[in-house]
Amino acid sequence: MNDTSLQKFYGWFSVLAILVGVLAGVGYYRDEYRPWKDYQKRFIAEEVRRAPSPDQKLQAARTPLQIRQILLPELNRVDRCTTCHLAVEDPTYGGFPQPLAYHPQHDQHPFDKFGCTVCHRGQGRATTADDAHGSVEHWDQPMLPLKFIEASCGQCHEASDNPAAPRLARGSQLFETVGCRGCHKLGGVGGVVGPELDRVGARRSPDWLRAHFLEPAAVTPGSGMPPQKFSEPDVEAIVLFMLSQTGAELPGFYASMKVLPSAAQGQHLFQQKGCIGCHSLGGQGGKVGPALDDVGLRRKPEWIVQHFRDPQTVSPGTVMPRFGFTEAEARALTDFLLHQREQKVALSLPSLMGPVERGREVFRKYGCVGCHGPEGKGGVPNPNAKTAQQVPALTYVADGYTKPEVVKLILNGQHEIAALDPARPAPPLYMPAWGSTIKEGEIDDLVAYLFSLKPKGEDLGF
Amino acid sequence: MVPHHLWTWFASTRVGRSIFRVGPPHSNLERSQAMVSSLLLHVQPAKVNRHALKASYSLGLGLISLYLFFILIGTGTLLMFYYVPSTTQAYDRMKDLQFVVSAGLFVRNMHRWAAHLMVAAVMLHMCRVFYTGAYKAPREFNWLVGVGLFLTTLGLSFTGYLLPWDQLAFWAITVGTNIAGYAPIVGPKLKYLMLGGNTVGQEALTRFYALHVIVLPAIGGLGVAIHMWRVRKDGGLSRPDEPVSVAESLPLAQLPTNKSYGLMELARGTTPQVGRDPDDEVFSWPSLIFRELVLFLVVVAFVLFLAIFWNAPLEELANTIHPPNPAKAPWYFLGLQELVSYSAFWGGVAVPALIVTALVVLPYLDRGREGVGVWFARERRVATTVFSVCVAVAIALTVVGTMFRGPNWGWVVPWRTPPPAMEGH
Repeated sequence: MNDTSLQKFYGWFSVLAILVGVLAGVGYYRDEYRPWKDYQKRFIAEEVRRAPSPDQKLQAARTPLQIRQILLPELNRVDRCTTCHLAVEDPTYGGFPQPLAYHPQHDQHPFDKFGCTVCHRGQGRATTADDAHGSVEHWDQPMLPLKFIEASCGQCHEASDNPAAPRLARGSQLFETVGCRGCHKLGGVGGVVGPELDRVGARRSPDWLRAHFLEPAAVTPGSGMPPQKFSEPDVEAIVLFMLSQTGAELPGFYASMKVLPSAAQGQHLFQQKGCIGCHSLGGQGGKVGPALDDVGLRRKPEWIVQHFRDPQTVSPGTVMPRFGFTEAEARALTDFLLHQREQKVALSLPSLMGPVERGREVFRKYGCVGCHGPEGKGGVPNPNAKTAQQVPALTYVADGYTKPEVVKLILNGQHEIAALDPARPAPPLYMPAWGSTIKEGEIDDLVAYLFSLKPKGEDLGF
Repeated sequence: MVPHHLWTWFASTRVGRSIFRVGPPHSNLERSQAMVSSLLLHVQPAKVNRHALKASYSLGLGLISLYLFFILIGTGTLLMFYYVPSTTQAYDRMKDLQFVVSAGLFVRNMHRWAAHLMVAAVMLHMCRVFYTGAYKAPREFNWLVGVGLFLTTLGLSFTGYLLPWDQLAFWAITVGTNIAGYAPIVGPKLKYLMLGGNTVGQEALTRFYALHVIVLPAIGGLGVAIHMWRVRKDGGLSRPDEPVSVAESLPLAQLPTNKSYGLMELARGTTPQVGRDPDDEVFSWPSLIFRELVLFLVVVAFVLFLAIFWNAPLEELANTIHPPNPAKAPWYFLGLQELVSYSAFWGGVAVPALIVTALVVLPYLDRGREGVGVWFARERRVATTVFSVCVAVAIALTVVGTMFRGPNWGWVVPWRTPPPAMEGH
């Protein structure tokens, strides 16, 4: 091996070493250059401009460029939004162009406790605009458009009675009155004809939801859901309510917020879970457990909450089962019971109404109206169904069926709907079985209500 | 050249001499000493056959695999500083690597691409060894070690695939371990052993992590050492038989004890040959070492290049109830997955078992001495053809599985993207 061939190698070494150096340099530069640094420089320049004295100008100019983040361990989030949105807490930046704009109305939701993404969504860990705002591939939580921001209130606050979120409340009201629960489960209550909606707000985009309400079959081919005739504000409201259903179980502090505005949710739960079967309120109800009128006087709130979480831990040997309430539910129920102590007013428990009124409530509660129409008058399309391609009306149930037959039909459902034309697809809507959902007292009330639908002057048959 | 002078100058300084023991070598004695007096260099012989230096013969594929292994150990160690093998944290750590860790994404890119390249390089290395008949006596055992290293490489890549804990990772490992589960009797047990359960979860992540960062790299490192040791002991890189030289015909004799370089020469006979070296050998320094360095720089440059312009994939957080459609195994298992789509038995059991068995028994079945050290030797036409057909089928299946399979494992045409279904984001 002579030295001339060595020269060749040294040449190669030089070229390749330079190439490796350049590539490593390019890699380093691309990593080192991050757009957020430009925003921070812009912010610092503005701060320097505003500083009154040279000393303070110097001080401001020395602000280091660094990632800023809000750590929210309870929410399992890290929000780095303030790395670019540096002035969210500074009112003097009101009306400033983004990303340096001030965020109004945050005093009740301090950023260090709530961060940003729990309301706005997006990708908190990201530090580039596209990634952080979340409209990128492989991130399923894009930022919520501002017009739908009230949906986020529903994660912690009761949707139905929140004066700060009127559109959310309207959406919730629509959901309960147009009969969505007839086909869809939400919070464990509802039919099984359509999919459960507990996490729909995390899975579907506003555009999808909107298109789906107006023309379901256009976005979900073969969907039997009847197109909804909402006014424009109502479409937005129901979409907004759907967006609020993210299925997020917020922990501790955040969940406790949910009961603050309302004992109503507690009352709802109290009725829904059938507490009255064992306990009594105002002299009505079971005798297995103690009366609860003055439980707020006898027990501390912490005791009651713990009792809802796990009865055995505070009341060893009790026969009360562990219901598996969520933290929010336990607190809502506690709130409701504490209200009994304070108010001592007669609550409009279903037991205080007549069977027909209670039945109407049941008809509304389980969303029967969604398919059978208001007051059971029918008119909802069910393509290819033998019954005039509609879901049958219930007005004349009393004529065609006996009470036990109606009960059986409701409990077992009717999965096979006779088709008008056997060659075409089967009718999409059918009667789900309500046996596992509806309670014993409710079914009797419901039937009483259905039989009451027959127009006045005709024989009721019972 | 400037680097040459710099190097000469530095090696001749006090500090330089203290480090290198031997200065810039000028004589053959010093060239030998340069090799044996350095721990790192003495792994290799002091002299090497000219044939072994031909890039057109070896294509440098073994070395490329080794260099990629080095890069993977380096970048992998850096990644370990940030990674947490927890189903609740791993994905967030990936995001942090991308968004806040200095060069985090860059290092992850290097690791990812080097890993894919290493699987490919090892496969190509095996093809080279087959086509040149290099597994024949006396190198049968080293072929076995090589098969073990190939499986170790697949294991390293496969275990690493799960660690980001995104949809891609979760479902690729679910599919991959399901393929393993099709084996009769041992299949379900094997799958359970790999996953520490019946489905991919925290137990699987813990196991894959331990395998990925300790067990398999240790096995790989040891395997590489044995592999290279055997390359030397089996007479260096394979090459065609040479006419018996004068030296070859002489009996092995005790070397004079006063010649320190005698150990390195590995020469038969009593004296080094004058004029023509035994076995047509040249000194490793610089002929081998410098070539190796050039190749190393090329490999590093290529991995850097890939890491700059292409980011390692990271999909949504693993969702154990919503598989992507289709869920695909890592690319090197897609041929098997394609077979599984026709028959779970053939794709999951018979074919992989056949491949491994064939690779293991190959050097002991194919005992002909002809064609060693020559690409596509005439004498080995049958073997070459059979092997090529197998490789072609494997490539075809892999390409089909990778590019032509869409939702529900139905046919798709890769250059025509289907209209996106209107989904929630």
